[in-house]
Amino acid sequence: MLFFSFFKTLIDHEVTVELKNDIQLRGTLKSVDQYLNIKLDDISVVEELKYPHLSSVKNVFIRGSVVRYVHLPAGSVDTQLLEDATRREAAAQQSKAK
Amino acid sequence: MSFFGFDTSGHDKAQPGFSQAHDPFAGLSGRNADVDDALEFEDTYDGLGDQLDDADDAFNDDTFGGGSGAAPAPSHGGAPSAGKVGKDFDFFGQTAKVSGAIEEEHMRFDRQQPTARPVQQQSLNQYHQPPQSQAAYYASQPIQQAYQPARTGYEKYREPEAMPDLNVDRSIWGIGPSKAAAQHAAPSPQAQYAPQHASQPPAQPPASRKIMSLEEVEAAMRQPKPASQAPPQEYRHTPPPPGFQQQQQHLQQLQQQVTTPQQGQAQPVTILQRPQSGQPNKATPPAQQQAPPAQPTQILQNPNRLSGDAARIAMGHQPHPSQGSLPKMGQLQQHPQFNQMSEEEKAAFLDQETKRAKRNHKIWLLSKDNGLMTPQDKNFITRIQLQQLVSATGNPAERDTDTSIAEDFYYQVYSHIRAGQRQNPTQPLSNFAQTYLFQTGGRHGGLRRHGRPAENHFQRMEQQVQRAVEAAKNKPKNPQLVIAGSLGKISFSNAKTPKPLLNIKRNDSETQRPSSAKKPTHTGLNRRAVLRAVEKVYNTLMKIEDHVRMIPPPMSETADDELRTQHAEWKIQLDTLIAQLWDELQVHAPVDEIVPHPFIAFLSCAKGKKAIPRIFPHLDFEKRTTILTLIIYHLDQLDVVQEAVVSADTTLNARTRENVELFISTVMPSLMGYFNETGLDIVDGVLNLVAMKLPIDTIAKTRIGVSMLTLILSRAVLLKQTGAGNPEQWEKWDRTFETLFNKLEPSLPYIFPGSVNTGEDVYVWQLLAAMGVTASHDQQTRLVLAVKDRVLDTVQLSKTLPPAMASDRLGSVNLFMRSIGLDVELLQ
Repeated sequence: MLFFSFFKTLIDHEVTVELKNDIQLRGTLKSVDQYLNIKLDDISVVEELKYPHLSSVKNVFIRGSVVRYVHLPAGSVDTQLLEDATRREAAAQQSKAK
Repeated sequence: MSFFGFDTSGHDKAQPGFSQAHDPFAGLSGRNADVDDALEFEDTYDGLGDQLDDADDAFNDDTFGGGSGAAPAPSHGGAPSAGKVGKDFDFFGQTAKVSGAIEEEHMRFDRQQPTARPVQQQSLNQYHQPPQSQAAYYASQPIQQAYQPARTGYEKYREPEAMPDLNVDRSIWGIGPSKAAAQHAAPSPQAQYAPQHASQPPAQPPASRKIMSLEEVEAAMRQPKPASQAPPQEYRHTPPPPGFQQQQQHLQQLQQQVTTPQQGQAQPVTILQRPQSGQPNKATPPAQQQAPPAQPTQILQNPNRLSGDAARIAMGHQPHPSQGSLPKMGQLQQHPQFNQMSEEEKAAFLDQETKRAKRNHKIWLLSKDNGLMTPQDKNFITRIQLQQLVSATGNPAERDTDTSIAEDFYYQVYSHIRAGQRQNPTQPLSNFAQTYLFQTGGRHGGLRRHGRPAENHFQRMEQQVQRAVEAAKNKPKNPQLVIAGSLGKISFSNAKTPKPLLNIKRNDSETQRPSSAKKPTHTGLNRRAVLRAVEKVYNTLMKIEDHVRMIPPPMSETADDELRTQHAEWKIQLDTLIAQLWDELQVHAPVDEIVPHPFIAFLSCAKGKKAIPRIFPHLDFEKRTTILTLIIYHLDQLDVVQEAVVSADTTLNARTRENVELFISTVMPSLMGYFNETGLDIVDGVLNLVAMKLPIDTIAKTRIGVSMLTLILSRAVLLKQTGAGNPEQWEKWDRTFETLFNKLEPSLPYIFPGSVNTGEDVYVWQLLAAMGVTASHDQQTRLVLAVKDRVLDTVQLSKTLPPAMASDRLGSVNLFMRSIGLDVELLQ
């Protein structure tokens, strides 16, 4: 749930989602769910010349499994908190595995 | 009672329908006999039935075969045979087979209807006969009346038209009849009576009277019955004669369908069907109209014996297709035991029946709204479901904060930090829940005039949603399904536990880890151990922070004992955790024994530095002092000092610079915050430590060292301005400062990082400013001499720079210049 929890805080921030087919979409993160499916609004394709068919697309729903990277706005990430959250997640998983 | 007032005359005992089955109500019926002529079934039952050879159907043909059955039928119509047979009819197994025949019968009768109608009057008249014959029988064989007819639907059609259907009827009765046939054929006493019975048609009047008396009883029983009963039923309430007539009319339908030709011709047989539930009545009027012209055979059907199946059959023959006989049958079935009850029981039963009928009616009225749910209904259902969900997984209400934080820590705390006004981290969740709930509830919220219940509704729902969600989270899910007999497992994945692509056995890795980790530990403090120590500290830190979050409600003056104890416990636990943290920081590890000191090693990694601002708030002044002393004492061991010694030529590498920045942004503020609370003694002590023990020249060439010195000196300046401390302390301080100054003076020209161009020397000017303020006049002069070149260079450079940058540079130089009463303006 860490990443879900994390991405929830990025809602309404601009992110760039890089898909596994190399398409990069920049847009406002509108919604994310526990599968890390992503809804983007006001999207623009980073390499628009390469993917002209996406020029007219305004918003997308991206299945979480096809996402390779999400480029984050560094300013809206609390690294220390994220570290802590990671520690907690790790501890939780460790205790679960036992 | 009518059980015993059975019309034996019309009763064809030879018909296969008279099978035996156990009568669970036999005892009861005996009781009912008291009402009548004191006929006790138990008394009259001779047990002959037990001797019957049920399996033998050798005489079936004689008994039932074709028209020849006519003779035996009347003869057996007597009660005596029934006395043996007097067990309940088992139709259940046969019903299915019978149904086909019933269907045919139905069709036939429907076709027959038009002709039948005109004759109804006639048939009505005829129905009076059966009771008579019955009466006749009773007259001759009073005792035998106690027989319990096993069958209700044993009659055959007697109308000529019905003839072709005889076979069908026979099939109906022939299903389980072989036994009955044998029974009927065998007993002699019955046969004895049969002739009498047959020969007594004239005895009708008394018989009917008698039966009417029975009817009276019934009518009396019926009285309490509610108005909800169909009108025909009321007929039954009428005084005996009319009631009887009605009943007979009703029976007529049955008769039409069930009478056998022989019966009809030889003697009228009346089926006296008891108005058990009153439902059959509804069917009655139409049935009467359809009564066939043929001579009626009336069979007194004893309701006692009217098993559900028999009733069904009888009703099934009802001619009127529109009558919807099924429900009636159903109701009939419910009351086979009705007549075996005592009066009170009957009254109670009828009462209940009434209530039930009323309720059914109501339900029926309401049923038109079936399938329509209001939003409230839906919410209600949802709440029930949620409740079950919650109860199924236990009530996690107490743990909600914990779990939500554990599951959604980042989001919770992040929202908490970003939106400071929220009281606790769980609130975002409830806000979410509220949003969703109000969305769903908004629709009917408007419709409702009184918003309050609705709101409560939502609140409850919201709570339940929360609890359910958490319960679902807590519910341990089995991630695998092993189907018996299958090879392999099916593993599920969900959002929380994704299907693992790699399944690494933990045991192996755990056994290996220690062995690989042991080696380095022998060599002392390695990076891995340091990192582990840092993680330990963090874990404890998180525990402390969690604990702090769970602080009980604030104490007020009126706080009760419970709250006090809560606070006390909370404090105790917090102290324990802090002590643990302190241990893990290893501040008290022996100095100089291990190099670097564990705490310094802790500080040397980025994680450790970042922990300091979080650790400091939990430490008391004494502990902070200890930490400060430790840091100062090992200042030259700090990575940010050791690796960050500057010179005019070299610049620091990126990693070191990052570390330095990190130290400045994490550790220094904490130390600064601490210093603001210190007195002169500590400041003096620390400075003395620096001056005496540390290699000043090295330290002064690092940003951290310079910043540390600035920190100490500026605090002293502040203390001096506020008039803290006493002259002796200041004297001591002056001495310490002089020592430091002397040590530092040679290095002063070289403590500037990089060349003048880099413009990273602000912090040095800050130190110089602090020194300039503290220094004596003599020292100030030496200070100016030492850094004179740098000042001039900077002023020179600033002339070539854009105004903004230039003023920046000059501003930093001016920090120093003004501290000694000068200004860069003087130099220009």
